[in-house]
Amino acid sequence: MRNLLDSVLKPVRRASDAGSAQFAEWFMQSRHRFTITGLSRSGKSMLFTSLMTILKYRSEQQYQCLPLLRYLPMDLVENMWVEPLGDLPEFPVEEHMAALEKGEWPPATESVAGFQLTVRLRQTHGVKKYLLPFTDIVFEFIDYPGEWLTDLPMLDKTFTQWSDSAWAQQMNEPQNQFAKDWHAAVSEFDFEQPPTPDAINLLVTQYREYLLAAKAQGISMLQPGSFLIPGSGFDWQEYGFTPLPSRISSDLSSPWTQRFSHHFEVFQKRWLADLKQSTFRETDKQIILVDLFEGLNHSKSHLYQLRETLSNLAQTFVYGDPGWVQRHLLRQQKIAKVAFVATKSDLIPAAQKDNLLALLKDVTRGATAQMNKDEIQFEHFLVSAIQATDAGSNEQALRYVNSEGRYMEATFEPLPDSLKAMPADEHYPALPAGVPKDHLARILNGNGLDRLFQYLLED
Amino acid sequence: MSTTEKTYRSKVTQTEIDMQPPDHAMPAKRDAEPLTLVEPARGFSTKWLALLSGIGCVVGFSLFEAVTFIESNFASSPVATSVLAAVLGVFVLSVSFMTFGEVRGYRKVTQFIHRRPKLSELSRNDARQATLDALQLHASQFTRHSYAEQCYKRFTGLLKADHTSAEIVEMYRQFVAHPVKAKASEVVKKESMASGSMAFISPNHLIQSLMILWISMRTIKRVARVYGLRPATAGNWKLMKILAQNLAAQSIFDLATDEMTNQLSGSLAAKLMENSAEAVAAGALNVRLGKTLMRLLEEEK
Repeated sequence: MRNLLDSVLKPVRRASDAGSAQFAEWFMQSRHRFTITGLSRSGKSMLFTSLMTILKYRSEQQYQCLPLLRYLPMDLVENMWVEPLGDLPEFPVEEHMAALEKGEWPPATESVAGFQLTVRLRQTHGVKKYLLPFTDIVFEFIDYPGEWLTDLPMLDKTFTQWSDSAWAQQMNEPQNQFAKDWHAAVSEFDFEQPPTPDAINLLVTQYREYLLAAKAQGISMLQPGSFLIPGSGFDWQEYGFTPLPSRISSDLSSPWTQRFSHHFEVFQKRWLADLKQSTFRETDKQIILVDLFEGLNHSKSHLYQLRETLSNLAQTFVYGDPGWVQRHLLRQQKIAKVAFVATKSDLIPAAQKDNLLALLKDVTRGATAQMNKDEIQFEHFLVSAIQATDAGSNEQALRYVNSEGRYMEATFEPLPDSLKAMPADEHYPALPAGVPKDHLARILNGNGLDRLFQYLLED
Repeated sequence: MSTTEKTYRSKVTQTEIDMQPPDHAMPAKRDAEPLTLVEPARGFSTKWLALLSGIGCVVGFSLFEAVTFIESNFASSPVATSVLAAVLGVFVLSVSFMTFGEVRGYRKVTQFIHRRPKLSELSRNDARQATLDALQLHASQFTRHSYAEQCYKRFTGLLKADHTSAEIVEMYRQFVAHPVKAKASEVVKKESMASGSMAFISPNHLIQSLMILWISMRTIKRVARVYGLRPATAGNWKLMKILAQNLAAQSIFDLATDEMTNQLSGSLAAKLMENSAEAVAAGALNVRLGKTLMRLLEEEK
């Protein structure tokens, strides 16, 4: 009898549980999906580490961080917790904090990781307080190697199109400075020989060496970036390919073009399509991290190629305001709000921040033109996930402890406020700031995250 | 790997400095230093001194008169005369001191009201320093250890070099204006409860009016103190217009309740109802008094 009753009640209970979960999701949760898009070395991992640490200390220990974040008032935060996001590996925040403790910056991301962060707010509204006692603000974050991001535009191209564009990029400044050996190897290569695994491997190895050398010199647009890091799930040794000179790539009967086209398709179908589906899932808010210091450190032409990279990336994502019905009932997601963020802004004196912001606007000009066309809301921000520097002896100077532990004062000449204003034969060497001993306090005193998230969260 | 090495002129000059980097302090904790209303130290105030010395004078002159009467018959008493002169001197001095304090309090009220920041204007100001200066000018009037001063200290601890005027003003609202207003509302609520209770238990209208007068004066003083203003008794005259409104409204209400009582005869139920109605009215009017005062002391719209 009891079994019979259970068998009848079980589906009812399940339906009731599912109903209450759905009710909670609809009425008591506000879900914000963030895509944090950043090229390699743009500071994504440090930003995540900092954000999680700040929110933890803010809600658990009542430290007054993020004063401009009115959307999550400290008075109303009841609780905060982190959960895994789908099947993605957990973001290694503890390891990152341990690395900082040892005086090392968190290592570069070589595989994907994610987390879901929920902040529970008490309801204060008179009637709502009794019906819906709390609201959960749910954030979803995914960290991934920046190298994967630069591969996304390859999804919509054929091998020949990609090969020609990659070849054209290598001929431009500043890439051509690092591609000489690669170009020499190609010109000497015998494309009359059949594309055996050994011959392909030789060519791919040469190309990879060029990519690695260019990456070390601050070049951001390097395809395929997935060939550069061991965490990528694509077997580039078996299905490797390289751009080919146009005399080969335009000949569709060439066995090299045919073989590389096949490998390129395998790359698209087995790696890129899955990657876009799982990692670059559709979201409603996008943060595009830009490391301007990589460009300022090298040269004006580096900044130009950064602008080109950002313009290409902006065409990869789906922008538009889906509206309430599409978002909540039809579950359609489009990126409706974008924040362009220059990271590591503590590495310049406060007096130069206006110029850095203006430079950020200029570097993202191509991407914002695309967004203006789609009528997407966007804004520019300067953020430092950790305040690694101190004020200097004058307005144009700042102080920092370098990686050797020496306390240095760096005095800056005025930063350019546009690419045009950047002299071609001058640069601003990036400050090799080490991890400060008081890194926790400096993370909690980080700058700009409150302004950024207030913008993204407010309606 | 051969690369064409270009030489770029560095636009950053670096020198090693012989000092230790400063340690960054952790941000302040919200409940580490709970902001409290600081009650002024209780003790022998100048008002009491004036009153007592006044009484002393009366007594002294009475004594002096008595002594004079005796002396007129016998001889003058230099000791008694000296004592009486000293007491009189203290009285005059303490009255002068109190008058000085009252004048200062009165001027402070005027200054406070005229120096209220226009936050909406400040937020549109491009000059960050000017905004900070305007807020600092206003904050300089906060009495030491007042609730407003504690909030302001917390606010200044959160400021960063790249905050714009709009953000500074927003933070000022969030960390100073709103908490101060909330605290003042709390005080008004508490005082109104007291006012209502006093009105309820008062045996007659004279005592009731005096009670309400006293609670109203206390409300003004306490609310002003939350805002960092200590107006002194004379300064309260500046705020007296509001009090007058309060009392005038109370008188009108008395007429109404008297009329209602006449209509309902003198039963116990009617008396209870009258007192309840007066208690509610006294509380409500005290709330109005407090709110009006808060508007007067808040940011200028």
